[in-house]
Amino acid sequence: MNADLILQTENLGKRFGRFVALRGVSAGFRAGNLTAIIGPNGAGKSTYFNLISGAIAPSGGRILFEGADITGTPQHRFAQLGIAKSYQITSVFPQLSVLENVRVALQALVSRYDVWRPRARLKALRDEAGELLHMVGLWPRHDRPAALLAHGEQRSLEIAVALASHPRLLLLDEPTAGMSPEETRDMMGLIVRLAQQRTVILVEHKMKLVMGICDRLLVLHHGELLAEGTPDDIRRNDDVRRVYLGQREH
Amino acid sequence: MRRDAWIARLTPHRAALASLFLLVFPLFMPFKAIAVNILIQGLFALGFNLLYGYLGLLSFGHAALLGGGAYACGIVIVRFGMPWWIGIASGTLAGMLVAAAIGALAIRTRGIYFAMVTLALAQCLYFVAYQAVDWTGGENGLRGVNVAGISLLGVHLDIVRPLVRYYFVAAFVIAALFVLSRILASPFGAAMEAIRENETRARACGYDIAASRWLAFVLSGGFCGLAGALQAIHLGIVPVETLYYTTSGLAVMMTLLGGMGTFFGPFIGAGVFLLLEEVVSLWTVHWQLLVGAVFVACVLFFPRGLWGTLLAGHAR
Amino acid sequence: MSGVSPDLLALQVFAGLALGAVYVLLATGMSLIFGMLTVVNFAHGAFYMLGAYLGLLALDATGNFWAALVLAPLGAAAIGMVAERTLIRRLYGRGIDYPLLLTFGLAYILVELVRIAFGTQGLPFDTPDALAGAVDIGVGYFPLYRLFVIAVTILVLGALWLFLERTPYGLIIRAGARDPEIVRVLGIDVARVWLVVFGLGTGIAGLAGLLAAPLQGASPEMGNSILAEAFVVTVVGGMGSLLGAVAAGLLVGLVVSMTALVAPEMEQVAIFALMALVLLVRPQGFFGRAGLMS
Repeated sequence: MNADLILQTENLGKRFGRFVALRGVSAGFRAGNLTAIIGPNGAGKSTYFNLISGAIAPSGGRILFEGADITGTPQHRFAQLGIAKSYQITSVFPQLSVLENVRVALQALVSRYDVWRPRARLKALRDEAGELLHMVGLWPRHDRPAALLAHGEQRSLEIAVALASHPRLLLLDEPTAGMSPEETRDMMGLIVRLAQQRTVILVEHKMKLVMGICDRLLVLHHGELLAEGTPDDIRRNDDVRRVYLGQREH
Repeated sequence: MRRDAWIARLTPHRAALASLFLLVFPLFMPFKAIAVNILIQGLFALGFNLLYGYLGLLSFGHAALLGGGAYACGIVIVRFGMPWWIGIASGTLAGMLVAAAIGALAIRTRGIYFAMVTLALAQCLYFVAYQAVDWTGGENGLRGVNVAGISLLGVHLDIVRPLVRYYFVAAFVIAALFVLSRILASPFGAAMEAIRENETRARACGYDIAASRWLAFVLSGGFCGLAGALQAIHLGIVPVETLYYTTSGLAVMMTLLGGMGTFFGPFIGAGVFLLLEEVVSLWTVHWQLLVGAVFVACVLFFPRGLWGTLLAGHAR
Repeated sequence: MSGVSPDLLALQVFAGLALGAVYVLLATGMSLIFGMLTVVNFAHGAFYMLGAYLGLLALDATGNFWAALVLAPLGAAAIGMVAERTLIRRLYGRGIDYPLLLTFGLAYILVELVRIAFGTQGLPFDTPDALAGAVDIGVGYFPLYRLFVIAVTILVLGALWLFLERTPYGLIIRAGARDPEIVRVLGIDVARVWLVVFGLGTGIAGLAGLLAAPLQGASPEMGNSILAEAFVVTVVGGMGSLLGAVAAGLLVGLVVSMTALVAPEMEQVAIFALMALVLLVRPQGFFGRAGLMS
């Protein structure tokens, strides 16, 4: 057991009926690192992501967060643990204002069942929500309904919402999916900034995108761990070359 | 945009504005007896709307909350000879207790099951009330919920007089409006909106969806239980049909008609429906066709309801 | 319990199966519609009731129970298909609540129309002569008509199974229940499949109503309380599962008839107690997949 691993999976597996999506993946993620999980389509990236983010329960194996077994922890406890995530499909509160999106996420840590005090009384939440919006560059639009934001802006909002729980570990599922080249560039910049202060794990389909920015890479293939290491290790790895050779990136 | 700005400015005063309307309502309302019914049914729909309109959870078991409140109030008054205010307090409490029990079972299911399970559990209560003749009067209903004189701080209220009765009931309904407004403005109110908007995201933020739903159901039970208690005192009898699932259907229909998720919509829905029913039943006994037609028309053409459409304006 | 002989118990089991058969048919239709259309049909009880009244009409016109047995379900199916095409179809893709609310309103309309056409009082429905009387089933005499109900249910379930498993149409329906997108991708006219499935489900509900009519008569309200019971069966069996509908329908029928033996006044309550128990132990029902429609 390694002390500087923030997240570990031990023999983590998932079956859907007869279909084995993930077969026994054991891996560790270093605290403070930006780690990317890559692999071709159908490699099991999303399944692995959903398992470590608690969205689905594993068929076997364990998940350790800061040394403690969190396998089977209900999803709503993850925020309190210090793990937050963004989804592959944009997931915000569409009819709420941009500010309220972040404010309600912040509120989840301090007041969930108070039916009596006015929520406006929790002024610190509002201020902090404002700061988070400044950070992701959405403050100019704080009073709009989230549904009216552009796609890239919604993804940024989603990250602000995820940051609201002060996560020590931030999980991002294909954060640039469906983005224009400019939006993609901005998002990558944001992710690098976020990674300076916390551990970030992201799933990415496009290998090229993450090679330059991440500290370590995890390569999945056919539901198994194919390789792990620094970008240079991965570039040199024969197995990875074989898998990616011929099937060019989109 | 100007309309939205107005609505935003008036929202903090919604309870006061609604109360004002209820206070002047009987002055231009020819049928006083219906006015009291509108208050009570509106409060019932209000409680339902808290769950469906603000949390997005569709229950077909609200008859049990209304009926539970009505029977608790009636039994306390008829069988134990307690004063009226204990009846009302018991009714409110009973609504919450029934909701706590039904909710605890029903939130174990998800999605569409909830409507079916709440309906079935409410039917269970109906059959229990039907059998427990000694307590409930069985199919004849619980008779004799007579509150002759109400003394309040030395003032005697003669609630046989329609107008006095109206304002007596309105006092409770107005209090309920202020409580509801406060709940909606609370942190929990924000959590409910978040859950309605995106359950998955709300869960990831750290909200316990099942616990939140249960709490909202119990709160909803308080409003519906109060409505039931007021209805028992108003009618002087608790018909066993109060617990039948068609009563739940009425709450759903009045809320849809008025505008779900709007503060005052349930009262508009109750008012319009009860007046329509009054008019239609003058020339046909088949007024239930109206219930069905309103349901179908709302779902197909007016999903926002009357009040909701008005608030949204023509632009959208 | 001391007065209950084994023979009486056995007879009561048969009575429970006959009652359960009606539940099975109702829940099967409901599960079929839900599985394919994700519509919870709150008008299912109304179609059950329509089956009984259409049976009366057919009996009047033809004087033949066997003709009614065919015509009434067809009539209910036809009305169901008209409702699907003109009303419910407009709501697909607008969330799961709207079709449910619409069918609830539709039930009101259907019940009231029947009241207008046939009166508010219930009407008697004679057991056909050929099926009157009782037969000795070894443990005692059992009403022939109830055996007939069980037999018809078995036949219908068998036919349904063959239809779903052995015909191209059934294949599409089963695929569609799992993943509607697949059906669309394959270029199949989904609209027609929906229409057929809704007609099939309401037709089976109509058959259940017709079969129940000689046992209890026909009344406009007969579908109201059985709707809640059909929900119990569907929840206990697991939504969208046909096997679950069969198992739970029979179980509920047995629970009712057994309760009737020891504590008749608890008959109705027992159904719901069973559901509460299942919810506590296995919230997704016997054969339901967890999180199927969350």
